[in-house]
Amino acid sequence: MDLIANLGHGFGVALTLNNLLFCLIGCIIGTAIGVLPGIGPVATISLLLPITFGQPATTAIIMLAGIYYGAQYGGSTTAILLNLPGEVSSVVTTLEGYKMARRGRAGAALSIAALGSFFAGSVATILVAASGPLLTQVALSFGPADYFSLMFLGLIISAVLAQGSVVKSIGMVVFGVSLGMVGTDVQTGQQRFTFGIPELSDGVGFVSIAMGMFGIAEIILNLERPEARSVMSGKVGSLMMTREEFRRSIPAVLRGTTVGSLLGILPGGGAALASFGSYMMERKVSKGRHEFGTGAIEGVAGPEAANNAASQTSFIPLLTLGIPANAVMALMVGALIIQGIQPGPRMVEAQPDLFWGLIASMWVGNLMLLVINLPMIGVWVKLLAVPYRHMYPSIMIFCAIGVYSLQNNVFDVYQTVVFGIFGYLCSKLRLEAAPMLIGFVLGPMMEEHLRRAMLLSRGDPMVFLERPISATMLGIAAIALIAMLLPNVRKGKDSALAEGG
Amino acid sequence: MKLNTKDLISAAILIGFAVVGLWLNTDHTMGTARRMGPGYMPFLGFAILLGLGVIVLILGLFNGPDPIEKWTGAEIGFLLAGAAAGTAAGLVASKVGGWPSAGWNSLGIGMFVGCLVPSIIKSWRPLFLISAAFALFGLILEPLGLMLAIALSVILSAFADETHTPKGVAGLVAFLCVLCWAVFIYELDIRVPVWPQF
Repeated sequence: MDLIANLGHGFGVALTLNNLLFCLIGCIIGTAIGVLPGIGPVATISLLLPITFGQPATTAIIMLAGIYYGAQYGGSTTAILLNLPGEVSSVVTTLEGYKMARRGRAGAALSIAALGSFFAGSVATILVAASGPLLTQVALSFGPADYFSLMFLGLIISAVLAQGSVVKSIGMVVFGVSLGMVGTDVQTGQQRFTFGIPELSDGVGFVSIAMGMFGIAEIILNLERPEARSVMSGKVGSLMMTREEFRRSIPAVLRGTTVGSLLGILPGGGAALASFGSYMMERKVSKGRHEFGTGAIEGVAGPEAANNAASQTSFIPLLTLGIPANAVMALMVGALIIQGIQPGPRMVEAQPDLFWGLIASMWVGNLMLLVINLPMIGVWVKLLAVPYRHMYPSIMIFCAIGVYSLQNNVFDVYQTVVFGIFGYLCSKLRLEAAPMLIGFVLGPMMEEHLRRAMLLSRGDPMVFLERPISATMLGIAAIALIAMLLPNVRKGKDSALAEGG
Repeated sequence: MKLNTKDLISAAILIGFAVVGLWLNTDHTMGTARRMGPGYMPFLGFAILLGLGVIVLILGLFNGPDPIEKWTGAEIGFLLAGAAAGTAAGLVASKVGGWPSAGWNSLGIGMFVGCLVPSIIKSWRPLFLISAAFALFGLILEPLGLMLAIALSVILSAFADETHTPKGVAGLVAFLCVLCWAVFIYELDIRVPVWPQF
């Protein structure tokens, strides 16, 4: 019954006027960037991080979370109507959704995408609420060695699941960790790698890295590609599903929710992986699998439920263990730290407003999104009429003002330029930026836990293998690495990611 | 040999960072495994980075071919010219005294000039004109205020896309000035000069 009391408390927090307002703003922005290709949740959240500092931590996180799951709703709209995925996570929705639109069933596809997402979101909300305190109990028994191994596992998996070469991704993770070492050493106060620059004594700017590598680099890459936007095919049609379509969607949504919830919790997972996993599953097991390729409603219902479930369950490792599962969650860690909150198992106890308020706001946000999306679909499609040449200077200016306002220091602006150019270079060389960001966030925490673990064990590294939790984590990490060396598994992953975008 | 150019360059970057990091890290006390000094974790990190870089290098010799887009002579030339001009401008600015050498202005001037020179070549424009516009924003924000910073950097960045029209850019500048004033000054009240300071 604790759960209900806690959720009640959460709704009390989420339903205050200010939090409702920011939840709505987050959902609207999320839907907008979901609809617009060329700007994703990572760039948007880093863009808006500075704006949230004036708000209480709970309000800030509620809004930022709204952007992430709101983008999953918005992404499906353009995927279905225009064969144009607004987000990576809706790439697979184009496969069946656009075919349905061509058959004149766009309305049905949009409806099931929104309703499936809403159902999945509600389930995921309960899942987060139920598993949060449970996992927190487990996490509190973790020693420093266990923490270190857990973070190590998280980093390895985020690299393994990244696109492209695993070795390069691990390289980027380690580079991120090393970059996290810049600044003042916590224990001795010594300045490391700061070149005597006072601005670097707090470390390299987290927002500068995120904005540079995801915001600015993204603009540059988009400008190099010529604009390609297809015209909307036909009318949306009736939003009502037929009884047959509805009946076929139910199992797909249920499966999608399950797959998405599981893949969301996984470190390195998230919405994109989940929607793809669900699509593969539907193609194999659903009753309508013979219709795939001609507009099967299962191919919309499953992935859309999955990506929304995953975008919420990926908060579980963050809220209970303080470990970000993907780049968006890494930004959340950054937001929390800047707000003076150290993410970790103590957050449930120490910040009940934040924890339960966020969970409750997810459900509220999903409800808002249902209303924002279905009746107002025409408004969002019109948004696509905004040409990119008007969008990129706006994004750039918002980045610049935001990064400056962090500390009222132009050094941060120049830092962002450097990371923008570096991010462009990385993307040309197929070096993944997301693992680097996660490594950067986890690096300082890992160092602290490593130091503590080794101090407690009197310098004996065997402690990592002697503690059962730690040994298990390292074992899983080793298996994941070895699996990637097997040519079959690697080929499977490559083709899976290639199709999934 | 199937050279994978992208992987080889990636390896060079990773190894480069690792070597520089290890070298800089010699300033920090290592400590022992039991009592780690400030240099211990960076040493571990950069050493692993070096190892991974070498693996990428070795793999890159065989898993290609994956060539990068060829740069033309002009592209290379202006890139080098930009690097030289940027460094020179930055050094000169740091010496002349007054505004150019105050605070981070010399860094900003160097960055701005360095990015502006390669943008003479059209294919470099998306990358370097956006970067230059960003640096320009940092340069003029404090002395000339937010409104001029928005106007000038939007105008500069507009040259990165050929479909812009002067009228459209003017409209965009006006729109962004109003929007940013409403969001950042009126609503969030960030401490930033709005108009030129005399």
